[in-house]
Amino acid sequence: MSTDLLLEALRRSISDDLVPVRPLPPAWIRTLQAAAVAAIGLALVVFVFKLSPRPDMEQLPMWLSWGCTALQLGIGVLLLGMALREAVPGQGVPIGTVALGVGTAVLIQILVGIATWMHSTGMPLEKGHGLSAGITCTTHDIAMALPALLVTVWLVFRALPLRPSIAGLLGGAGAAVTADAVTHILCPMSDLRHVLVWHTGALIGLMLVGWLAGKLWERNRFGQG
Amino acid sequence: MGVDRKAEDERLTAFMIGYQKGNMDDFEGLYAALKQPLLRYLWTFVRNATVAEDLLQETFLQIHRARQTYTPPRPVRPWIYAITRHVALMHLRSGRRRKEVLANDQLPEVPVPPEMEKLADHATLHKMLSELPRPAQEVLMLHHLLGMSFLEVGQILGIAAGTAKVRAHRALKVVRIRLEEQGGVA
Repeated sequence: MSTDLLLEALRRSISDDLVPVRPLPPAWIRTLQAAAVAAIGLALVVFVFKLSPRPDMEQLPMWLSWGCTALQLGIGVLLLGMALREAVPGQGVPIGTVALGVGTAVLIQILVGIATWMHSTGMPLEKGHGLSAGITCTTHDIAMALPALLVTVWLVFRALPLRPSIAGLLGGAGAAVTADAVTHILCPMSDLRHVLVWHTGALIGLMLVGWLAGKLWERNRFGQG
Repeated sequence: MGVDRKAEDERLTAFMIGYQKGNMDDFEGLYAALKQPLLRYLWTFVRNATVAEDLLQETFLQIHRARQTYTPPRPVRPWIYAITRHVALMHLRSGRRRKEVLANDQLPEVPVPPEMEKLADHATLHKMLSELPRPAQEVLMLHHLLGMSFLEVGQILGIAAGTAKVRAHRALKVVRIRLEEQGGVA
């Protein structure tokens, strides 16, 4: 190959740093890695906080308890996969699909909350204890989502996301939905005020954390954001 | 044409694999194969040959930094064009863009898609294409001039393949309507 095709300065920069690299694994393998970390994180939080299934679990139909947990876990892993796909140039997720994925995550969480409330009122929300109960549940939500969020963000930023805030948003949504898949069968309260403020709030908050992480990474890597 | 394209894609993939293994000849092969089409693509954004050359260097530096993110045997071109597009957009957003306005006789030619050549004379088509919004010009450039499928165009732009197709169709329609208004098309 004739070198006159290549600008000498560029050629020198490249040749000075031309060490062999190992290609990133495909998105589905990275998704499995993130899902494994998410599963370990969920199990650890349940064990450390000594959490147990909600007392009225038997009153809930199977499709609503374990069925919706499986559905939310599936959606969560799918969103993590979308985040990891978005992290590679030329594999960007269409913006409509991003909106559909994130919208579905929020909508399913709200619908599961409403359906649960319709089947069982659960533990009553005692006056004056709403805040402490809410903080406890949000802490559990965040603790469960954190391992999945951290590993996804790490895997995303190891690649080259060209829209890092979108990748972060998807990662945040995926981590939050996987966490909610478990908390909805653990949290004893069905009161919609509790569910919408603290659980949906945690979901949206985690999405924003992912989005913000992407913005900060973008500013650091490209000097913009 | 299809066979040529397939062979070209395989050649680029082989270059990329060799480049990831640390082979300088493969990097140079990749550069030689993609220099001209990338310059044309960059020109769509900056309309200045010198700036496009600078951005081409920046693009290859970004490609070098991110070379581990290419996963063989996926097509190389959507990966590289997505990085190129990002470099161009970062340049436009950074404000480093030159403010100077080129006189009409200094304006480089906008390439004309072959499908449009019969519609009017080159000067008219160049003017029409220059007046299209950049997203429309970009789709026409990638699909009609660089020969990419709408799926690849979608992967580069981060949009659905159908959206890319609609965008290209609308761009061509706009040009046709404007030509009809000027009596350029029967």
